[in-house]
Amino acid sequence: MPTYQQHPSSFRDPSGFVFQSAGKLYRQINPSYQSDYELLMGSGLYQQLVDQRMLIPHEEIGDSQVGQPGKFKTILPEFIPFISYPYEWCFEELQDAALVTLNIMKASIDHGMILKDATPYNIQFISGTPVHIDTLSFEKYNESKPWIAYRQFCETFLYPLVVSKYSLMEAHRLFHAYPEGMPAKSAAAMLPTKARFNLGNWLHIFLPASVAPGEKNEKVSFNRNKLTRIIDHLHQIIGSLEPPSNKNSVWKNYYDKDILSEQYLSNKESIVGKMINVEGKNVLDLGSNQGVFSKLLASRQNNVVAVDNDAFSISVLYRQVKKEALNILPLCIDVSNPPGNGGFMNGERKSFTERKKFDLCIALALVHHLCIGKNIPLSNLADLFTKMCSELIIEFVPKEDEKVQQLLKSREDIFEAYNQQAFETAFSQQFSIQEKQEVPGSRRVIYKMKLTG
Amino acid sequence: MLKALLYVDPGSGSYLVQMIIAAILGGLFFFKNIWWKIKAFFTRNKQHPTTKEKE
Repeated sequence: MPTYQQHPSSFRDPSGFVFQSAGKLYRQINPSYQSDYELLMGSGLYQQLVDQRMLIPHEEIGDSQVGQPGKFKTILPEFIPFISYPYEWCFEELQDAALVTLNIMKASIDHGMILKDATPYNIQFISGTPVHIDTLSFEKYNESKPWIAYRQFCETFLYPLVVSKYSLMEAHRLFHAYPEGMPAKSAAAMLPTKARFNLGNWLHIFLPASVAPGEKNEKVSFNRNKLTRIIDHLHQIIGSLEPPSNKNSVWKNYYDKDILSEQYLSNKESIVGKMINVEGKNVLDLGSNQGVFSKLLASRQNNVVAVDNDAFSISVLYRQVKKEALNILPLCIDVSNPPGNGGFMNGERKSFTERKKFDLCIALALVHHLCIGKNIPLSNLADLFTKMCSELIIEFVPKEDEKVQQLLKSREDIFEAYNQQAFETAFSQQFSIQEKQEVPGSRRVIYKMKLTG
Repeated sequence: MLKALLYVDPGSGSYLVQMIIAAILGGLFFFKNIWWKIKAFFTRNKQHPTTKEKE
């Protein structure tokens, strides 16, 4: 029996693989990668990137430790609280991931190395900072060759960003259609004519879309200057992309105008504030909007994942998280249709609901959207929380509520079973209700529950 | 011809594109430099930031 288990997502790169042993994630480095690894560590590149928070730090594990026989080395990278994917990121998250990839590329060239692959799946967010997590992506730079990962970079970073900017399609939704990147031809087809009159678009999108890929041309002559110019150009294009102004976000003014009243919000904050008694835990805020409660949770040293279907709200929250280095990971996820297992044999990327069991989940003003808006029965909703968390703070919004009435205005009321009694019964199957409190000035009730058994 | 297209390495093809892009960017850089020099000649007291950096 081996003491390790190879991670199902780690098989594409012959340089090594990630494996789990005793609850920790290690990375084995194979002998074929030895010289590149030694160059990464010896050239000062590793130290510079780690100091600038661009590359995940790791420690080398001694020989007596876990790993496959015949390995060159085993390393233990810093633990990442929650893994996320580009089909869950807002525009600015993808943009920052692209920029850090280019910055790493530039630093690498200075140290005689390059990135052999450039995909958003190599980037993870830690407290609002995009960090490269694949230590084995670096290889010795051959100055006579163009960038091997140029096309991958364009397909997975540049094209989704540019198409999103022009078409107002949200970048994360494009990744659902093109999980491994968008071909130049598809990107070109989605862009309006005016996009052609832009040098950057023309060079990196329309030109590749019209040049048929030929056989590998061994006679190419390239040099460091040319490569640096391309990297700088990509950096300039991506850095100056304005996020598509999301004029049609329904939730834009939620806290400014739309929410019932200021009094209601402050009452809710004080109730929830008292109910939260976790510190330094993994917490999920479902239906976070712009993250008022995520920030409350983060202020108590928790690792917060903030989830909302509205990309605009997530963008607003991400900008703040970035500015204040908050321990919050904002993600664009539709709770009624979260990302499933992805990749080869559905094993490379875990579904959202199976990725982590959270210590606490808060779901405020969410239940009515799922039950009335999406026809999800209360008992099915309870199953979701049973799967995802061990403690729950949840707000029940009754049918008489103004917002529920708005939802019901345009449709037939088929929700006879939607009431407070039914809510308590459905959730009591798996949870024990520990506290319940009505929010003064409304008929909404906030519950604190604990998973039983 | 078409048959060959189905079996190309994912990285290839972009080599040719990168050569064209680098050539165009290089050309632009060259003309920009000349433009700056002409501008500097006529304005004299105003130097371009890149030339300042070198000093």
